[in-house]
Amino acid sequence: MKITAYHRPETLDKARSLLRDLGPAGIPLAGATSHAFMKGDDEKTAVDLAALGLDTITATPQGFAIGAMARIADLQAFAAPGWVLDRVALRFVSQPMRNMTTLGGNLARVFPWNDFPVALLALDATLDIAGDTVTTHPAATFFKGQPARLFKPGDLLTAIHVPAVGPGCGFGYHKETVVNMDFSLFTAAAWVRRDKRSLAEVRIAVGAGVPLPQRLIALEDALTGKAFSRDTVRAAVIAHAEAVSWKGGDGFSADYIRQLALTHLEDALHAAWNDAAGGAV
Amino acid sequence: MNITLTLNGKRRTADIHPNAKLSDVLRQLGCASVKMGCNEGACGSCAVSVNGRVINSCLAYAAQADGGTVETVESIGSLDHPHPIQAALVEEGAVQCGFCMPGMIMAAKALFDKNPSPTDAELAIHLDGQLCRCTGYEKIQSALRRVAAHGAPVPSPGSSTKGGRS
Repeated sequence: MKITAYHRPETLDKARSLLRDLGPAGIPLAGATSHAFMKGDDEKTAVDLAALGLDTITATPQGFAIGAMARIADLQAFAAPGWVLDRVALRFVSQPMRNMTTLGGNLARVFPWNDFPVALLALDATLDIAGDTVTTHPAATFFKGQPARLFKPGDLLTAIHVPAVGPGCGFGYHKETVVNMDFSLFTAAAWVRRDKRSLAEVRIAVGAGVPLPQRLIALEDALTGKAFSRDTVRAAVIAHAEAVSWKGGDGFSADYIRQLALTHLEDALHAAWNDAAGGAV
Repeated sequence: MNITLTLNGKRRTADIHPNAKLSDVLRQLGCASVKMGCNEGACGSCAVSVNGRVINSCLAYAAQADGGTVETVESIGSLDHPHPIQAALVEEGAVQCGFCMPGMIMAAKALFDKNPSPTDAELAIHLDGQLCRCTGYEKIQSALRRVAAHGAPVPSPGSSTKGGRS
């Protein structure tokens, strides 16, 4: 891909209008970190979204509203009760890349190894697309396929709403890479709500090792309402991991990825359980 | 297209192609410290500060820096008046081939500017994008630990604008 013209509009309406008029010749520019991997000779006009004011993180009564242009480093630095995305941010590539990459850019086009879709699925986030009106999509819908299917020409992802992890709830996140900065081989995220010794609610999501990030609904159902124990979690994970079509690649077999999944799903669930008790994650 | 930026404290303009990467343009503007390593954001040798954030300039379009403030290692110290980070790196013998040093110093300075006494863990997090192919990490870490122990002093403004080498 070659950028042949560049615009930096200062309003969302102008950005949408430009992209609508450009059609396939236009490309929204967020952090630009994925452009190095867009090969080919096609020429594009970049519409830089940096001046739209979409880079804030705000506490809301339900949790947090994150502008789509917030950098991963902003998520890393933000702190508030119930905020857990700093844990995901810290495992994201490297500091210069965290300083460049935007949350929206990590979500609007989903590769199997993308980090944040997995976390947002487990946290039951919602995502706003600004078109003629703003439409709000649950993460489970947004990531059901490539998000591009939800965007009409000129539509833009503008905000992500993430519920706070409240009292009695916990979040766990595990990511496996060959070396620290590498793309994920396997990612697991878990959110739980405790009721004394039981798992009152469970959400589990995985990424990499599967074609697209996804919730493991059958595993969630198997664990919901159960008393938490190492044996219960292990048995449920083993039973339900068999039903998932794990994907190998980059020199790793599907069976190796399945083994990673067993370990990391258990670890993410234990981390979420301990987090819910106010313990170490 | 024309861009204007404040580069190492001076207002500069450049006529660039919209596809030009910031690393290329900075080198054309005389900042030879900006090293071209992997060209895919993996090595950190091209790291520069743009509007206070250290980024991989090989991935950024120069157009994105239009109107902004860019700092490279040329602005940080000179042979006569090295920045404390540079002095510590030399004193520890942490500079081998030196190719990674401009990016390493930019990343370290960005951390020390916010946090004069970072922990080892904070150093590890903030320098995790800087690769040293000589694998001299231990001495680099020792040098930065030494700076952290003393709290990185802030150089006086304008103390160094030319002759920087690292």
